[in-house]
Amino acid sequence: MTPVDDDAPPPSAAESLELIRKEQAAAARTLELNPLLYYVPWGAAWLIGFGLLFLRYGPDGRVFVNLPAWLPLVSLFALMALAMASTVLVSAVRGRGLEGRSSWQGTAYGFTWFFAFAGVGTTTSHFARLLPEPERGLLWACASVGLVGALYMAGAAVWLSRDMFIFGAWLTLINIVGVTAGAGWHSLIISIGGGGGLCLLGLLLRARGRR
Amino acid sequence: MSDLDPVIHVQARLRIMAALSSLGDGDRMTFPRLQQLLDMTAGNLSVHLTKLEQAGYVEVVKSFRGRTPTTSAALTRRGRVAFDDYTTQLRALIDPPKEP
Repeated sequence: MTPVDDDAPPPSAAESLELIRKEQAAAARTLELNPLLYYVPWGAAWLIGFGLLFLRYGPDGRVFVNLPAWLPLVSLFALMALAMASTVLVSAVRGRGLEGRSSWQGTAYGFTWFFAFAGVGTTTSHFARLLPEPERGLLWACASVGLVGALYMAGAAVWLSRDMFIFGAWLTLINIVGVTAGAGWHSLIISIGGGGGLCLLGLLLRARGRR
Repeated sequence: MSDLDPVIHVQARLRIMAALSSLGDGDRMTFPRLQQLLDMTAGNLSVHLTKLEQAGYVEVVKSFRGRTPTTSAALTRRGRVAFDDYTTQLRALIDPPKEP
């Protein structure tokens, strides 16, 4: 848009309203998080990472695909690192040049994830060594996914987002189902329900934002 | 059109008000980001922000981030009301309320 250096009013009421609509739409585009870059990388990480875990470490010790033992976890963590980088980048771009309440909310929420995972990670690692191998993996997975579900619901309360709350509740529910079903099944359920769910959430929010 | 708020009813200030009205309650936008969003020169933006500030529609906050001074702006409560009244008047001009 060309700079307006004069003090002239818009020629008509309709043009004034159109100018307001355009300006608000441009502001909204830069103020909103891009849901595709925010949710889909995490969805893909879970879909692929937990999917590989299921194929290599299936229910009752079954091996559906004889992948190298290290591959599923390395893939999961590498993809989650990429997703984290995408989240940090998207949040930084959105938050650049913004001050005040939402900036504080975003920072506090980011630190909440960090501290929550530090606490749950330390506790889990302390008790996991007392368990046999398949149960150890299940404990790590269900504690982490359960925490993510709770953090999504808390985030929904901060940003008044019904979609975030529904996703957090859904994740909590499928995590409970997965833990009850046992090691192996939990990976499959989280891969499809959690990873697929996150991809769907990103696509849904994107489609809604474009309407 | 003559009864419309003259402070808001010029293109540059209308654009500033519209952009700032998109911010959430309690949020402020820094001068460089606002300038980039509106594609205005620094001088032009500064002049119009000062006029809006003098009218009590915009609050301009000067602070320091580390050693770097930053200037940020947000609509005041009065500015938000004035902007809402202005858009209501515009809609009424396009589609006048029917007499009962």
